[in-house]
Formats: sequence, structure tokens, C-alpha cells
Amino acid sequence: MSDKPGPKAPEQDIVLRVNDLHTYFYTDLGISRALNGVSFDIPVGKVMGVVGESGCGKSVTALSIMRLLPKSSKIIKGDITYFRRPQHNGSAGASDQIKQKSENGQQGFWIDENAGKVQEIRLNDLDPMGPEMRHIRGAELAMIFQEPMTSLNPVYTIGDQISETIMLHQRVNKAEGLRRAIDILEKVGMSNPKLIVGNYPHQLSGGMRQRAMIAMGLSCHPAVLFADEPTTALDVTTEAQILDLMRDLQAQFGTTIVFITHNLGVVAQMCDSVSVMYLGRIIEQTSVDEIFYNPKHPYTSALLNSIPHIGSRSKERLQPIRGVVPDPYSKIVGCPFHPRCNAFMPGKCDKAMPAQTVISPGHNVRCFLYSDEVEE
Amino acid sequence: MENAVTSAPQLPSAVDEPVSEVGQLSQWTLIRMRFARNRLAMIGMVGLIFMYALVFLGPFVAPNEYTYQNQDYIFGGPSEFTFTGSDGSFGLFMYGTTSVLDSKAFKFIVTKDENMKLPVQLFVKGDPYTLLGVINTDVHLFGVDAASKQRVYLMGADSLGRDMFARTLIGGQISMTIGLVGVAISIVLGSVLGTTSGYFMGLADDVIQRIIEVISSFPTIPLWAALAAALPPISESFTALDRYFLITVVLSFVGWTGLARQLRAKVTAYRTSDFCQAAVAAGSTDRRIIFTHMLPNAASHIIVSAALSIPGMILGETALSFLGLGILPPMVSWGALLRDSQQVSVIIQYPWLLIPGVAVVIAVMLFSFLGDGLRDAVDPYSI
Amino acid sequence: MGSYILRRLGYMAVTLLIVTILGYIIIELPPGSYVESEVERLRAQGGNLTQGQIDALYRRYGLDKPEYVRFWLWISAFVRGDFGQAFAYNLPVSQIIFDRLGLTLAFSLSSLVFSWVVAIAAGVYSATHRYTLPDYVIAVLQFIGLAVPNFLLALVLMVFAQNVFHMQVAGLFSSQYVDAPWSIAKVLDLLNHLWIPIIVIGASNTAWLSRVMRANLLDVLNMQYVQTARAKGLTENVVVWKHAFRNAIHPLIMVLGSSLPGIISGETIVAIVLNLPTTGPIYFNALIQKDMYLAGAFLVFLAIALLIGNLGADILLAWVDPRIRYE
Ligand SMILES: Nc1ncnc2c1ncn2[C@@H]1O[C@H](COP(=O)(O)OP(=O)(O)OP(=O)(O)O)[C@@H](O)[C@H]1O
Ligand SMILES: [Mg+2]
Repeated sequence: MSDKPGPKAPEQDIVLRVNDLHTYFYTDLGISRALNGVSFDIPVGKVMGVVGESGCGKSVTALSIMRLLPKSSKIIKGDITYFRRPQHNGSAGASDQIKQKSENGQQGFWIDENAGKVQEIRLNDLDPMGPEMRHIRGAELAMIFQEPMTSLNPVYTIGDQISETIMLHQRVNKAEGLRRAIDILEKVGMSNPKLIVGNYPHQLSGGMRQRAMIAMGLSCHPAVLFADEPTTALDVTTEAQILDLMRDLQAQFGTTIVFITHNLGVVAQMCDSVSVMYLGRIIEQTSVDEIFYNPKHPYTSALLNSIPHIGSRSKERLQPIRGVVPDPYSKIVGCPFHPRCNAFMPGKCDKAMPAQTVISPGHNVRCFLYSDEVEE
Repeated sequence: MENAVTSAPQLPSAVDEPVSEVGQLSQWTLIRMRFARNRLAMIGMVGLIFMYALVFLGPFVAPNEYTYQNQDYIFGGPSEFTFTGSDGSFGLFMYGTTSVLDSKAFKFIVTKDENMKLPVQLFVKGDPYTLLGVINTDVHLFGVDAASKQRVYLMGADSLGRDMFARTLIGGQISMTIGLVGVAISIVLGSVLGTTSGYFMGLADDVIQRIIEVISSFPTIPLWAALAAALPPISESFTALDRYFLITVVLSFVGWTGLARQLRAKVTAYRTSDFCQAAVAAGSTDRRIIFTHMLPNAASHIIVSAALSIPGMILGETALSFLGLGILPPMVSWGALLRDSQQVSVIIQYPWLLIPGVAVVIAVMLFSFLGDGLRDAVDPYSI
Repeated sequence: MGSYILRRLGYMAVTLLIVTILGYIIIELPPGSYVESEVERLRAQGGNLTQGQIDALYRRYGLDKPEYVRFWLWISAFVRGDFGQAFAYNLPVSQIIFDRLGLTLAFSLSSLVFSWVVAIAAGVYSATHRYTLPDYVIAVLQFIGLAVPNFLLALVLMVFAQNVFHMQVAGLFSSQYVDAPWSIAKVLDLLNHLWIPIIVIGASNTAWLSRVMRANLLDVLNMQYVQTARAKGLTENVVVWKHAFRNAIHPLIMVLGSSLPGIISGETIVAIVLNLPTTGPIYFNALIQKDMYLAGAFLVFLAIALLIGNLGADILLAWVDPRIRYE
């Protein structure tokens, strides 16, 4: 069972499959095991939330998939498979590339006969800075980062930065690139986009910068957009606006979004399904409804109890999760949550790691409360 | 700037050493740990300790007294050694030399005497000297028997037949301390003015900033030279030691500005920080805030920027003395010694005259290793 | 931008005033007044001065007046282009100063360009190839470059040029070309004499700048916007040169102002060893001979050159960085 985790969906409906991903960082202080076997499938056209406390590996997961990890880290083990749809295969930039490639006699990994079918691309086999990965990045897999204040290059105008992506992947000239940049800025609800394209990032507010980042991310109509806590740095009103915007755009473009956050409220608002991460592993994975009304993993329950929710009796106290997240340098025997768990079973939880088990259709969890299966 | 050599990721070795104590260590312990792990910094520190020992024990370590003029060894090269004695015995032997008059060039030429092999001995009697200002003795670490009338010249001799090795060591006493004294003065000036300017702001700040700007808008060596030129000539009332001291003052005239600037930035940052606001709220006086809160917090930065400015001072002294504006004979410093090698033709004939320059390079490098190491240890994220 | 430059010009005027005051103080510093030294000098040359002539000299330099009046006399003469008399040369200072100053600036600027080009190449290379062998080699060269006094480097390179290439590299021309009319051979000979001074003067600055460059680029490469650029699918070259470099160069321009004094300093001292007809030899000689008008004028002019350089650096910075431009 443990070899095929994740909500089982027919491959036709999956855009990205991550299986048993291990990513380690090699630092002065030792090895930091950021990801220890992350597995999930992302269905096409849906919004998948990834939640967890700070440091649990949410960003590293996204960066691993984007192949944007720093040099000090390495994907030790696992597969990342991207299922390319025909509409992306035929996208302007890519097809030009194919022609060029086959003229050079090099073996393109996207082959023309495959047009019309879904192609499987194993991202972890590609050279992170090689041409294949570069054509996918930005065009098919895009990413918005955690801090809008620092995500834009301070010395180029917004227009330059957005049109750069468009010119790169859609093979258009500067004027056309700028025109499309204005278009997309308009779509993300920027007032007066013609003016904004000439502005430098420091002239924009945080919310506007994040809109610009979203515009940049969506400018090539990617198959998957990773949004890494896109609203954490913003005030509540702006956050609500940006979330609305993303929801709208998602409906409009049909882009699959991986929404990384530590805010369960945002998950409820944005997502179709949720993966809960703890110390580099996904410990529970299911639909949004299930997470809120039928959480299984003690950590998920604890996480839910630690946030206020509307309708709860006012006298009810919020319960912080006791203890702190262990540092990722040490290797914990057994379930990594057992030192903080209320349902800790001595002799069991501290001996082995529970496997990811499907307990009902579309709901899987890693906990000995539900299955004795052990991860090998 | 992070250190190139030591912070390379140690891939597999550290696998099973969870480092969890880090959070509990004091700032100074952390600094010491990081410093000790920095190989270059340790080389710098150990090397400098060795060099200081060498120069201060110089009169003992060198086989000759540094002012002794050997008429038979004018521009003589480094002594040559062999491991077999005339009788075939094993040991360290020095070839003797003779000085002959080259009638064409009309100068004495020192030539090796293949047949004269003198055993090199430890703790031989030679020129009398005073060690560290108190011990009067005539024992030298090594040398050849004085009765042979031959002397060991590890690094050759200068135009007056003086031992370059001894002179380099004695010169080091000046060159390697001038930076320290200069930095000490800079620290005092820089701390006082930098703190004043950062803490009180306003007019004091404007004036001090302007002064700093003016001083740093002069090219350093010409400015130093102009100030040094203003020093009176050495006389009864103005001794060589006075000159030495005033040269350090001249060097720190420029040196303090860098430190003052950094301290000002630090202090301005601290002023708005919580601990300082708390102290103000608690009714602490300015003096108390500066001395018990700000300076201790900035101490590590003061030390780092002091260490980093020593190389510049050493190089400055060397340049000034080389120009004849710094340390003047009869005092010796590395720069003053290098004055003898201003002509390329001289260097080509007697390359050992450049040895004090090698000493400068080594000392400056060791100091920069040390300074860089300190900086990385104090603030691993700074440039 | 215009108001920014104006503000900078205002600051510069104040600094300039203080610089001239300091220059004046330096002229006044040496024990004994310059008239005394001039009188002594003239006497030594055999001229026997009458008391009347001496008094005239005193009056000419206003030595009978209070300090501030004397400063005013000196500065107003200075502004009019009368920098006083160079005793040793028996010429007005202005005659000696200008071509030498020009050559000093020419050498300094060429060295500056040299050090920027080399430092940027070395810095970018070592930052993008961290912990590789070339990175370590560059680090070693940087340490050496910072530790070797430039006059020593000049001496060593001269010995090297003479022993290996049998070239006499002192001065601007080989002896046979000094008085020859301009020709291709003379130009080639000049170029042959230029590379050593330029390398020597620029060496420590190159070492320092390339360290700054490496550290800054490493910092910038960790910035989120570099990650954004990679996430767009740009090649590593575009990421480094277009997105990272443009931001990393900015601290380099900021230190441009502070690297100028070092370069000009270096030029003055290297000129002595390499026997270049620039300010250095004259300046230090003037100091040793207490020819203070000459020395003071040189010093003030060097400072003015630096102030202008700093202004240029600030304008360049504003041009490169929109955050400053729009301030
Ligand atoms: N550049 C890095 N060097 C070393 N370790 C890193 C690095 N980046 C991430 N890690 C390690 O990987 C772990 C996961 O980090 P990650 O950034 O994915 O957390 P996160 O879940 O995104 O947290 P947050 O909510 O704070 O963004 C962290 O515990 C951290 O120790
Ligand atoms: Mg994150």
C-alpha cells in the first residue's frame, strides 16, 4: 500500500505526481533532512493546499519540484512526474523549441508524435538549469514566492520583469511583450496598468507587488502555479483581495494551484484538497471538508484546535500544540510527532514510522491509530 | 564577506552530530567557537604569536648585533651551508668567506671559501646586547665560533656589512607594533567620536561627519606624508621614540574615521532598539546607557574593525619610511630597511635586500587572516 | 535627479572649503615659516638678502597678519590661480603642477578601469564557482594583492621585466625614444612602459574590489528576486548578469569613491619607484624639502580630484539605482 499513496485518481486527471521525495540540506551544522518521503498527486485544475508549521518543508517541496533548490541541497530519493497536457505541448514557445531541437538532431524529450497525448516528464531526471527544465519553468510550472517585498528585482520596472517571461516563452518582441504584460496586469486587477509597467518595485505597495508577482506567474498560462504563502506578508484586507483574485483567476484560466500556507482559514477559503505536513512528511491528506469535519491525525486535530473558528463557544479555550517542532538535524526514531502527541502509544509510536494509509476514498493518513502498517 | 575556505559544506562527516546546544551558548562563546573552526584565522593567530616572539627575541635569535658593521662582508650574500665537515663528519657547517678587492669594479667582493667549513653551534657567545630592555648578555641562539672571525649571515648583509636577518627582526619590533599602537589610538578616537556622533546626533553629528568626510577625501599616503613631514627632526628634545609615537598618531589620524563611521551606524541602530528604549524609560543617564549598553554591545565590532585596520597601518608605515618620511635611521623598521633597495640595479645584484618586504607581506597577510576570521566569527553574515 | 545633484554639489562646496583649510593648516604645520626656509635657501644659494627684502617677503605672504587673514590671502590667491612659489624649482607652483597632475589622473583612471574590469571578472567568477579550485586560487591572489606594498610590487615587476624580458620599464619611454618625435615605435614603447604602473597601481584595489564583488554577488544570489528570475526559466547567465550583477555592482559603485584615495595614493608612491613624471616624486620631495606651497597645492588638488570623483560615483549610483534616483 505504502508504495502507491495519495488519493488514487486516474492518471489522466493528474498533472503532477510526487513520490517518496527526500530532500536534504548539507550545512555547517550537519545534514538537515528537510523532506523525508513526501508523496502526493495533484489533480488537474484543482487547488491543493499544503499546510504545516514553519520549517516543516512546504517551501522546500515546491522548490524541489521547480528544481530551484540551492546548491547546498540535494534530492536524495524519489520521483517527480509532470504530466504535460497537449495545450502546453503546443504552446508557442515550446513548439518553436521542438523544431529547433529536431533540426539540431538532438533528441528532444517532447516528441511531436506525442502531441495530443499526455506526456510523462520525470522532472527529477532533468538538469535543473538545462534547457528542458528552463522551458518548463515559468511557462508550465510557475511559482510565486513568500515575500512580495523582495521577490521583484529592484532595478527593473514591473513591465520589464513581466514582459521578460512573456518574451522568453512566447517568443514575442518587446512591444508585444509589454502589451501582454499590461493585459495581464489588468486581469490581476491592477488599476492603471499602463502606468504601473513603467514603475519600479519600490514605488508599489506590498499588495500591488504581490499582484504583479501573480501576473508574472500567470503570464504564460502555466499548468501549475505554486503559490508559497503569497499573502503572509500582507494585511488582512489586502490578503482577502488577493485570495479572491486568485480564486477568480483559477476559475478563469483553469490553472492548477498548489497553495502553500500555514493558515487553515485560507485553506478553507481557497482549496479543494489539503496536505498536512509535519517535519518533511505529509501526515494527512484529504479534501477540505474532511480536514475540517473529520480530521484523523492527532496533529491535524491539534492544528485545528489551535485556531479560533466561527461558531465555537466563546468560553472554549484555544489549545496550542505543546512542545516545539524538533529541529530537522536530529533523526527522530518513530513518528516525528510522538513527543508532542496526545495519543502517544509508548512502545509503538516511538519505535517505527507509520506508513501512509488510505482509510477512506480520498483520505489517507500516517498514524498507528488507524493502521499498523510500518514504513520500510 | 564570508570566509572562502572554512565554511565549505562538510558533506558527509557531520551526519550523526546533531547540534542542539547552539541556542544556549553565550555570544562570546559562539564567537570563540566560530573563530576556532576557521583554519585561516587560526593560522593568522598562531603565525602572529610566532612572529612577535621572533622579533622581540630578535637580538637573541639573530647571530649578530643589528648595528654591527662588518667591513669584510659588505653586500655579502646569505651564508652557505653544508652537512659534511672537512673531516667528513656529519653536522651543519657554514662555508667561510673571504673578501677580495675587485680592482676593475673597485669594490670588495665576498667569495665563498670551499675549504673553510665551520660547525654551526647553538648558544654561542657573540656581540653583547640587551634583551627585552633588561637582560644583558652575549649569548646568541646559534652561530659559529667567534674565534674564527667568521659570522653567520642568514639573509646576507647590507651596504655597511650589517646583518639583514638581525635588522629585519629588529625592524619588526617597530613595524609590528606601530600598527597596534596606531590602532589603539584610533579605537579611542573612533569610539569617542563615533559614539558621540551616533548617540547625540544633531550638531555634533554634523560636525563629526563633515570632518570624517574631509579626512577621507584626501589620498591617504600623501596626507600621512604631509603630516609626517611636519614632525620636527630628531634631536635632544625630540627623540627617535617621540618620533615613533607621533608617527603612530599620524597613522591613526586617518585610521579612526572608519571605526567612527561604523560605530555611528551601530549606535544609531541601538538607540532605537528595545533595550535602549527600556534603559531610557528606566531613567538611565546618557553616560550609563553609552557605557553599560552601547559600548559592550559594539565591543565585538570595535575589535573587528581594529583588527582589520592593522594591515593598512603596517603598510602605511612601510610606505612612509620607504619614502624617508616615517621611521628614520638610526631606528630601523621594515620600510626604512627597504629604502636601501629603491634601485632596481641594486636589487638585481643583491636581492636579499628585499627580505624586509617579504616580512611585511607575511605580517600583513597574517593580520588579515586574523581580522577576517574575527569578522566572520563576530558577524558571519556581514560582507 | 537634478535636485539630487544640486544637493550633492552643496555638500561638496562645504567639504571643499574645509579641505582647503586643512590644506592650509598642513602648509603651516612644519616648524619654522616658509619665509625662513626661503631666506635660508636663498642664502644658501649665495644670495645675500637685505633685511628690506626679507621684510618684503614677509609682507608678500602676509606673515605679519593674523592667521585668518593669511588664510584669506592664500585662498584668494589660490582661487586666482596663484598657488605661490615652488622654492626648489624657482617656478610658480602652477607651472609645475598641471601636466603632472594630469598624468597622475590619467594613470589613476587607467588603473581604476583595469581594476574594475579584472575585479568584476574575478569576483563574478569566484562567486558563481564557489569552493572550486579557481575560487581558492583567486582568494590566495586577493590576499597577496592586499598584502604586498605597491612599491614593492613595482620593484619586483621591474626586476622581473628586466631579467625575463630584458626591458627597462622605468619612466614613460626607453632612453632612445625620450626625445624622439612621435612614431609608431614610440607609441609601442610607451605602451610597454604603461602596463607595469597600471597593474601595480591597480593591484591592491583589484584585490579588494574583487572580494567586495564576490561577497556582494553571493549576497545578491541569495535574494528572492534572483530565485524569481530562475523561476521564469531564464538561463543561469541571464540570471547572474542581468538580475544579480546589476544589483551587486551597486555597492561597488558606492566604494568607488573610497577606492579613489587609495589609487591616487598608490600612484604617488609607485611613481617614485618607477620614475614616472607625475605628482608623486615632486610631492614627496617637496615635503622632504619643506617646500610647502608646492606640497600644499598638490594635496589640495588631489583632494579636489577626489571630491569630483566622489560626486561622479554618487551620480553613477543614482543612475544605476532607481531607489536613489526617485528619492
Ligand atoms: N537554504 C537552506 N539551508 C539549510 N536548510 C534549509 C534551507 N532551506 C530550508 N532548509 C531547511 O528545510 C526545512 C524546511 O524549510 P522550508 O523553508 O521548506 O519551511 P516552510 O515549511 O516553508 O516554513 P515557513 O512557513 O517558515 O516558510 C527547514 O527546517 C530548514 O531547516
Ligand atoms: Mg516557506
